[in-house]
Amino acid sequence: MFSHFFYTLKAKGLDVSLSEWLAFEEALSKGLAKSSLTAFYYMARSILVKSETEYDKFDMAFEEEFKGIFSNDALTKQMLSWLDKPDMNELLHENEKQWLSNMEEIHIDKDDVETKFKNRLKDQDSEHNGGTYWIGTMGKTSFGNTGGNVGGIRVGGTTGYQSAFQVVGARKYKDFRNDKVIDNRQFMMALRKLRQFSTKLNIPKTELDIDSTIDKTCNNGGCLQIVMERPRKNSVKLLLLMDSGGTMIPYANLLNELFQSVHKSNHYKEVKTYYFHNCIYSHVYKTPECENGDWIDTEWMFRNLDKDFKVIIVGDAAMAPEELYSKDGNYRGPNGGLSGMEWLQLMKRNYKNIVWMNPKMAIGDAPWREAETAIKNLLPMYPLTVNGLKQAMEKLMMKKN
Amino acid sequence: MGNQFNSTADYVASEQLMASVNIAIALEKPLLIKGEPGTGKTMLAKAVANSLSKKLIIWNIKSTTKAQDGLYMYDTIQRLYDGQFGEEGVDDIARYIKLGKLGEAFESEEQVILLIDEIDKADLEFPNDLLWELDQMEFYIHETKRTVKAKQRPIVIITSNAEKELPDAFLRRCIFHYIDFPDRNLMEEIVRTHYPNVEEVLLKEAMDVFYDIRNMRNIRKKPSTSELIDWINALQIGGISADRIKKELPFVGVVVKKDEDLTEVNKNMN
Repeated sequence: MFSHFFYTLKAKGLDVSLSEWLAFEEALSKGLAKSSLTAFYYMARSILVKSETEYDKFDMAFEEEFKGIFSNDALTKQMLSWLDKPDMNELLHENEKQWLSNMEEIHIDKDDVETKFKNRLKDQDSEHNGGTYWIGTMGKTSFGNTGGNVGGIRVGGTTGYQSAFQVVGARKYKDFRNDKVIDNRQFMMALRKLRQFSTKLNIPKTELDIDSTIDKTCNNGGCLQIVMERPRKNSVKLLLLMDSGGTMIPYANLLNELFQSVHKSNHYKEVKTYYFHNCIYSHVYKTPECENGDWIDTEWMFRNLDKDFKVIIVGDAAMAPEELYSKDGNYRGPNGGLSGMEWLQLMKRNYKNIVWMNPKMAIGDAPWREAETAIKNLLPMYPLTVNGLKQAMEKLMMKKN
Repeated sequence: MGNQFNSTADYVASEQLMASVNIAIALEKPLLIKGEPGTGKTMLAKAVANSLSKKLIIWNIKSTTKAQDGLYMYDTIQRLYDGQFGEEGVDDIARYIKLGKLGEAFESEEQVILLIDEIDKADLEFPNDLLWELDQMEFYIHETKRTVKAKQRPIVIITSNAEKELPDAFLRRCIFHYIDFPDRNLMEEIVRTHYPNVEEVLLKEAMDVFYDIRNMRNIRKKPSTSELIDWINALQIGGISADRIKKELPFVGVVVKKDEDLTEVNKNMN
């Protein structure tokens, strides 16, 4: 049942597994939806959705799937089967007359229904840009006053439930979506993905393995037998390069959060942070103020920070193409004979894993943002959001040869 | 179905929450509860236990907790001691196997409620280590070659503060419910259960300020229910008249804990 809904959920980006779907079917067959659309909504959500960040997607899928079904809250078994989308699609294609004749079948005064229905449809048009509405009939006053309900669902007066479509329509979980720009805690969580535990590091066995020692000793009849092991250490080294140019000022807070998260995540073997202005040239700066002289040579960085460093470049890549391609330097001084683009290519050659995080990345292709597009083609670029950072971390953890 | 959870005298659950609990019970799956701190996640388990008159077993998770801790512990050190002093029964390993909270819940003759509190505090891998046990409701004690199997499948309630992401495999087995932050009406009800005699105007003013602060965009740590309750208590004890609340923000430190937030609040409120 509702297999179409399953695919709608998938299409909205919800990763519903088959086992969850089966649990949902089981719940249906146990009658846990209690013949109410709202209970059905909450039941489906609690079984199929496992994070409040996904609630919004679920709401949207639910609305898309079941929008246009309007009834008072009660649902019978028969209505549940009507709610099943394949059937509904057929019904949707029937024209007004046909379903008015459906009305007739259940002995409702046709004219009355027709006028009320037309009024209803008019009202809905102004709110919803039309669409085809299927009207559930329970032999009750199907076209009763539906007030300002978003989905056109009426709330049963006494259940105390919020109408499913009110909930859906309000999109109150929008703020939880994890594609919105992140805060500190979530940053740290994402950064935690960047770990590569290794006991293969070339370090002596210095840690006393207490559990094994006790076990061995006991097995040994009480004669002490000590077990040592190598400490497990994260072997990831991180190089953070941040743009602190003028166009980045609106994101200062965000960068500050990222910076703090990186430094609070003290599980890295080594963390280095440098700053640049718009693009990386022959120098990178030690402080965000990017003052002349307070810098290190980019080539020094290449030599001293080896290729195993994982590099996160943060910047909006918003510069004039001339700035990216000019060999003569920018207003801050010479470039060392190479254009910004060439410096970036050098970066790519020197480090195995680089990602570019962009706080205001265009969605999809944006050829008019020339510099951004050029850099995107060179380095994997992700938006500076929870999802973006996660993807970037996964990218950084990929093995490259 | 005999097991139906309803609101109790001292815990008001929303309909959705009750539905989720009952779905979890009916489907015999763990119920995962998330929500902002102070939304009554832990209280829920107690309320469920009360409502169904069942025993509640609480397993508090700390950052050092391992899955094994919940199953059983083999007290090797005690055995070592006993061995050295020639106590009776040292050869009986079973004497040194102590069941953890999960084991306790499995061994119980009657169905119990098992609360695994703040599962996100533990290591990232912790939930994965419990998959089999929560699915099959059994585990195996290697030392004694005994399988502990749930006599009555416990009702498992798990809370999380979303400090860590839980693994997908684990999530797939759970029923999930996110407790929304209480709206004004519910909040009023909650405050009144604590202070039934709170002054009408004072409550209204304090809640205005509270929700204003929560709605400020730059607030780092949003104040929670318990902070509002503390604040109202402070206002009452301090004998602050209601008209001063918005103007002076007395004792606002009870609600706002961070320096940056305090500056922000003062800036916005004046």
